[in-house]
Amino acid sequence: MPGEEIFYLSVSELAKRIESKKLSPVELAQAYLDRSQKLGPRFNAYALLTPEIALEQAKAAEKEIQRGHYRGPLHGIPYAAKDLLAVKGLPTTWGAKPYANQVFDYNATVIDHLKGVGAVMIGKASMIELAGGMGYRFASASLQDEAKNPWDTTCWTCGSSSGSGAIVAAGLAAFAIGTETWGSIICPSAFCGVSGLRPTYGRVSRYGAMALAPSMDKIGPMARSAEDCARIFAAIAGHDPKDRGTVPIDKGAFTYSPSMELHSRPLKVGWLTNAWKSLAPGVAKPIETANRVLKRYFSSVKDVALPIGPWEDAGSIIVAVECAASFRSLIRSGRVSELTDPLGQIAGYVNEQYSAADYLQALRVREIAQKKMDSLFETFDVIATAAQPVPATPLTLNLETDLAFPDPLGGIGNICGLPAMSVPCGFTEKNLPVGLQFVGRAGDDFAVIQAGRTFQLHTDWHKKHPKLH
Amino acid sequence: MGNKSDSAISRREFARRAAFVSAAASLAPSRLLSPVSVAAPLPAQQTANAPKLTPEGQAEVESRIQAMFAQYGNRLSDAQKTDIRRLAAEAQPPLDRLRAFATDNGDGPGLYLKPLMERERKPSPKPAKPIPVTTPKNS
Repeated sequence: MPGEEIFYLSVSELAKRIESKKLSPVELAQAYLDRSQKLGPRFNAYALLTPEIALEQAKAAEKEIQRGHYRGPLHGIPYAAKDLLAVKGLPTTWGAKPYANQVFDYNATVIDHLKGVGAVMIGKASMIELAGGMGYRFASASLQDEAKNPWDTTCWTCGSSSGSGAIVAAGLAAFAIGTETWGSIICPSAFCGVSGLRPTYGRVSRYGAMALAPSMDKIGPMARSAEDCARIFAAIAGHDPKDRGTVPIDKGAFTYSPSMELHSRPLKVGWLTNAWKSLAPGVAKPIETANRVLKRYFSSVKDVALPIGPWEDAGSIIVAVECAASFRSLIRSGRVSELTDPLGQIAGYVNEQYSAADYLQALRVREIAQKKMDSLFETFDVIATAAQPVPATPLTLNLETDLAFPDPLGGIGNICGLPAMSVPCGFTEKNLPVGLQFVGRAGDDFAVIQAGRTFQLHTDWHKKHPKLH
Repeated sequence: MGNKSDSAISRREFARRAAFVSAAASLAPSRLLSPVSVAAPLPAQQTANAPKLTPEGQAEVESRIQAMFAQYGNRLSDAQKTDIRRLAAEAQPPLDRLRAFATDNGDGPGLYLKPLMERERKPSPKPAKPIPVTTPKNS
C-alpha cells in the first residue's frame, strides 16, 4: 500500500509511477478512498464518495496499462468533481437542499472528458449552495455544511468550490474540478494553498454543469501545481456543440507538454498597483517576496494600474440578473426558503427586480472593459497581484458585514472572461497560505500557466502541505 | 496599494454581492404600490447605516420594495422584509454608478460573452463601393 507521501505527489509524479507500472491505479484509488473516508468528514470536503465508480475505473485503467495501452498523464489518477457537475445516476445536489435528491441520466462533458483520458472519480466535492448565486452570509451555506480549511480547521476554505479546495489541500485526491463565476476557483485555491486555473470563458464546456450566470460561468482545475493544472486543462478544454458558449474548435483545444516551455516567449509582467485597497500584513510580506521572485526570473516586471470603471457593478448586475433567471422557478415557487443561508433565502427576490435597460447597460460596460483589457495586454503578457488580500477567514465570520472590500480585478477578469491562475507564494505568521494571482489575455491560458509554472520552478511553496493526524 | 474605487458593495466573492445588487422596475404598476402590500417597517426605522440616496433613488428603491412585497410579501417574515429593504437600498449606489458611466449610442452590449480572442481585432476594411440603401433599416 502506498505511504503517506503519495497523497501529496503531483499528477505528473503519480503519472510517471503509474506509466512505469511502479504504482497500481487500484491501490492508489483505494488509498485515496480510505483517506477520504477517514479525513473527508473532518473538513466537510465531500458531498459524496463514489467508491464503486472509483474502483471500477481504477481496475479498467490498471488493466489497460498492463496491456500497454497508456492513455496519458491522467490515466489512473484519482480526482473529485464539484457537486454541480452531473454524473449519470448519482445525486447532484448543487450543494442545496431543494436539489438534494436530484439525479441526472447523463454525464457533464467534463466528466466524460476525464473518463476518456482514464482519470478515476473518487467523489463529488462539497460546495456552497447554488455556487453562492443567491448570496450567502456564512461559510455554512451548504447542504454539506461549512468546509473547513485543512491548514486550520477553524478557518474556511472559501467558496464556492469549497470542498474542492479542502480535498486538494488535505491530499484526499490528486486534483479536483472547481467552477468560477466570480472568485470561486481563485479564492479557494489561495485560501487552501493549492494551484488553481480559471480558464478563459468558453474553453471548457459547461454542459451538464449547474448554470448560475451563463455568460460568466467557467470550469477549471485545482491541483498541486501549475503544470498539473495544465495537464488537466488539456484534458477538459475544447469546443462542445452542447454548450453554445464554448469557443470554436480551432480556439478551444489546449495542448501541453513541458517541452512547450522551451520555446515559449519570455513573459512581460504587469504588477498591479490598484488591485486591492490594502493587503493584510500577513499577506503583504509573502507578496513582496513573490514580486522579487518575478523580477528575478521573468523578462520584465513593471507597475501597471487597472483601467477605472464600474466593472464590479456591471459584473454584480450581470450575475444577479442571470442567476435570477437561472433559478426563476426556485424563486417563484418559494422553495428558495429551503436554502440554508438567510441571505440566500431572500436575495433572489431582490435580484429579480432588475430592469432590462440596466442589464443591457452592464453588458455594454462589459464590452468596453473587454477592449480596455485587451489593449492592456498589448504591453503585458500577464498581470499579477495577490490572489486575495486576506488569508483564510474564520468559519464564523459574517461575510456580508465583516469581509467587504473592492475587487476590481475579480470584476473585470470575470466579466471579460480572462484566464487566471492562483499559485501558493508563502504563508502568514499563523501558517495560513497566501496566493499569487496571474491574469492573462482572453485565450492566452498558456501565458498564465507558464507564469505559474515559472514561479514554481523557482519556489517550493506549492510543495508544502498541512500536517494532518 | 492604491485604490481606484470606494465601492461599498465589493468583496472578492461574487456570491455575496449578488444579494446587494438589484435594479428598479422604474415604473411599477400602481397595484404594486398599494399600501396593503406594505407590511415591513418603514425604511427610516431600520436602515440607520443605509446609503444616502437622492430622492429619485429613494423613490426607485421604494418602488422595487413595493413590487417585491406585492408579489412575495405573504411568504416573508418581518425580519426578511427588513433585510430586503436594506438590500434594496444598498443596491442603488452601484446602479447609479453604472448608469452614470458614459456609453455611446454605438456601444454594443456583449450579449452572450464572446472573449475577444474570437473576434477580428482590426476593423474590417470598408467596402470599395458604398452599399445602396434600398430598404428601410430596422430600428
